[in-house]
Amino acid sequence: MARKLSMKQAINEALDQEMTRDPSVIIMGEDIVGGAGSDGERDAWGGVLGVTKGLYAKHGDRLMDTPLSESAYVGAAIGAAACGMRPVAELMFIDFMGVCFDQIFNQAAKFKYMFGGKAQTPVVIRTMVGAGFRAAAQHSQMLTPLFTHIPGLKVVCPSTPYDTKGLLIQSIRDNDPVIFCEHKNLYGFEGEVPEASYAIPFGEANVVREGKHVTIVGYGLMVHRALDAAAALAKEGIEAEIVDLRTLSPLDIDTVLESVEKTGRLVCVDEATPRCSIAADVSAQVAQHAFRALKGPIEMVTPPHVPVPFSPVLEDAYIPSAERIVAAARRSLKEGKH
Amino acid sequence: MASRTPTIGIIANPASARDIRRVVANANNLQTADRVNIVLRVLTALASQGVEHVLMMPDKSGVRALLARALKREHNLQHRFPRVEFLDLEPTSTVEDTFQAARMMQAAHVSAIVVLGGDGTHRAVVRECSDIPIAGLSTGTNNAFPEMREPTITALAVALYANGRIAPAEALVPNKLLEVAITGHAGRGQKQPAVRRDVALVDAVISTERFTGARALWRPESLAAVYLTFADPQAIGLSAIGGLLQPLGRRDPGGLALQLSEDPQQRRLMVNAPIAPGLVRAVGIAHMEPMVAGRPFVVTQEAGVVALDGERELAFDGADRVTITLREDAFPTVDVARCMQVAARDGLFRLPSRSH
Amino acid sequence: MPSANPFPLERGQLLQAYRTMRTIREFEERLHVDFGRGDIPGFVHLYAGEEAAATGIMMHLGDGDRIASTHRGHGHCIAKGVDVVEMMKEIYGRKGGACNGKGGSMHIADLSKGMMGANGILGAGAPLVCGAAVAAKFRKKGEVAISFVGDGASNQGMFLESLNLAAVWNLPAIFVVENNGYAESTSRDYGVAVDSYVDRAAGFGLPGVTVDGTDFFAVYEAAGEIIKRAREGGGPALLECKMIRFYGHFEGDAQTYRGPGELDDIRANQDCLKKFAAAVTGAGVIAQTELNAVDKEAQSLIERAVKEAKAAPLPTAADLTTDVYVSY
Repeated sequence: MARKLSMKQAINEALDQEMTRDPSVIIMGEDIVGGAGSDGERDAWGGVLGVTKGLYAKHGDRLMDTPLSESAYVGAAIGAAACGMRPVAELMFIDFMGVCFDQIFNQAAKFKYMFGGKAQTPVVIRTMVGAGFRAAAQHSQMLTPLFTHIPGLKVVCPSTPYDTKGLLIQSIRDNDPVIFCEHKNLYGFEGEVPEASYAIPFGEANVVREGKHVTIVGYGLMVHRALDAAAALAKEGIEAEIVDLRTLSPLDIDTVLESVEKTGRLVCVDEATPRCSIAADVSAQVAQHAFRALKGPIEMVTPPHVPVPFSPVLEDAYIPSAERIVAAARRSLKEGKH
Repeated sequence: MASRTPTIGIIANPASARDIRRVVANANNLQTADRVNIVLRVLTALASQGVEHVLMMPDKSGVRALLARALKREHNLQHRFPRVEFLDLEPTSTVEDTFQAARMMQAAHVSAIVVLGGDGTHRAVVRECSDIPIAGLSTGTNNAFPEMREPTITALAVALYANGRIAPAEALVPNKLLEVAITGHAGRGQKQPAVRRDVALVDAVISTERFTGARALWRPESLAAVYLTFADPQAIGLSAIGGLLQPLGRRDPGGLALQLSEDPQQRRLMVNAPIAPGLVRAVGIAHMEPMVAGRPFVVTQEAGVVALDGERELAFDGADRVTITLREDAFPTVDVARCMQVAARDGLFRLPSRSH
Repeated sequence: MPSANPFPLERGQLLQAYRTMRTIREFEERLHVDFGRGDIPGFVHLYAGEEAAATGIMMHLGDGDRIASTHRGHGHCIAKGVDVVEMMKEIYGRKGGACNGKGGSMHIADLSKGMMGANGILGAGAPLVCGAAVAAKFRKKGEVAISFVGDGASNQGMFLESLNLAAVWNLPAIFVVENNGYAESTSRDYGVAVDSYVDRAAGFGLPGVTVDGTDFFAVYEAAGEIIKRAREGGGPALLECKMIRFYGHFEGDAQTYRGPGELDDIRANQDCLKKFAAAVTGAGVIAQTELNAVDKEAQSLIERAVKEAKAAPLPTAADLTTDVYVSY
């Protein structure tokens, strides 16, 4: 029976294998080891949710706990990358990007271009995204669109442990700055993961379910919601094709277009808020390049344009549900030619 | 005797304790905010004794700007302070400012000058103004000359003297200094050779380094000779070289001249001395003799720099003749300890009791 | 008869220092003229008047040491050894410029010389320098990294965060505050709560030294001790250089915020090149004729740089979309 790992374990294994293979890989972040400077256990946390636990014992001072100072240490990771190292900085919650965004979007993203091609910044910024943890407005956002908007950055958001390990290894080996998004609600999700090291190329979406009636595009947790929706739709005889984008930049729009050419219907699911979201971006590109293939209007399933609420009943209403995806798929099939 | 309202001068060096000894010897930094707090405590104490007018040296290094902000704040809190007037001089952020401030305060007939700085700052004040009593507060790197004392108390003592409540004979003490004269060759068209004069309050040191650069002295191998007005075994700095061998008090007559040497053939003894804060180094001594007031010592080194009170100041070479002369009873300082004892003895701080 | 040299640099090094400062001066003065004529696109921020700081510090560095600068970066670039002709081409937006015309004056960089870029975001260089220092620590060759900021940028959060990070990790990172008294048009007496940057460093347990930034020898000596200490594992420190800039914040700034007579006094009495020349000729170590020869060489270098820049090819439409990524 093939080995199963949780997404969290897959991340840990990817980091471990790359650090073993390449001495220029270092990790920095708040509490990624834990217990720094105090009398108790070193490696007390191994990351706020234990993702990096155990790495300190193997790789020692290549794991660097940082003070509470994102501008400085994310900037330091970027500077070290520009000087030839391969740092992996952890931005604990993507919501904290506000305090270090300049280093990411004005520095790392632009070095190669501004310096006429004579620089490279092979930094990975790992960060937790997504809602459902009851962590409320400042710890639950899906800010992926803010990063995909910036030329020079790559943005990755896997939905399975298999994809997570392969894409993280690819991210570390990649020579451009990568924002690696880890959905906090998928950390415990298990799936088959090979023990050997492997890399999944960027810009390759994954068709996780084939179908001929409607294309559902999503990433991260939404892929799982889409799969739940597809199961419900199948009972009504509607076969949904689900495209997991995996990397948002580079974006594999061709796979989406191919699917829409086949189905003629598109539902974009996105946990990011609707204005200028990934869903809006994909929808616009499909409308631009596959208009004639569309048999009806494009549907988007997103949260409302509000901050993430605290109360569980409200948060559950905020996150797009399988039911809403089903409803959107049905709507997309109602209209237009058949 | 009609009491006149005295004016007190304050010279607060913004640049003391900022030099390279922070890096090479872990010397203290004194924050601008702390210097301003010291000035505020001095002003508070002066106000409590009825002093109404203070003349201050202006600066462009943050002290004046922060003090202005602080005084506004104190005014909002309705605390009484003397009127602080800044001298009309354009700061250059060099020791020239201190020289000029001292001259201007002398011309303005201040009763006393409170000095915030190290040995170098005090030296600069005395050089230009040796008649007016000074009261020193140590805020420099090397503080052999000014005493470590709470500024509030120093200011109370200064006010008692300035108000005439303690007579000069009890309030003031005489101090020694060293006069340095460097006589060069006569230039073209000059009848007399050019003479550069300066003073030192604690030590004049001949360094073989030949440029002033970062000013501070911290390399013992570069020291050739040390001339001291006093040598306190408790003091930090180059005077410790003498202080740990042959102590000589501030009020004792005479000074001390030491010729130093790295050469084992020449040196007669060695001393491990704290030549700067955080810096204890071995120094070799070839020759030591007392200095008598008024008798010039001719410097035998060919070329180098004369460092005055710890800072390289005057470069000289083979064409120059350098002499160092001790002077006694050269300038007065306020004896804060004695003032406070007299104040207690004479009940100067007693207030009328209302309970009867 | 040549006098014995009292300076801590040999004659050749003294001439090199003068050459570097003069090259920066000529470069900036020429930009001032050409910008005024409308030849130069965009913004330039001139370092004229501040040459002693960049030179006095950079003379202690090699290519393996890194620096990061601000918008006012030409002086740092030249002192760090970035090619002057390539710099001029870059300012003119030409191919063959230091950044192939894609960066401009505010982003000139040459990573092969350890120059991590002038930066349009003030204070952003400080975290980058912490990163360079982390890399230096792992490389174990005693290299250092230096961040240049101004009195204004010293208020930026990321600068202060970098002081803390450097202290906590004991990085071979050095922070230089070039205190020229103005953040654009705002005086430091307004914008900086306490006009002392060594005090800020002290808050993080870092030692700091304040020097007269117009005195090459004072900068050289203090920087030497600080850099040596960092190379030997002594950790970070801050060097505050008090200096003046001759020109405005950017070219086109009429500088009406300056006090009356302020600019005249600066040119007459606080010119670091004049001070340096007076010191070395006064000590009889270098002859004025030697300095004059360096002046002429610097002027012809700048003349050639401008000629080549104006003749260099413009980037093409294809260049617009290249080098966004290493691979995509």
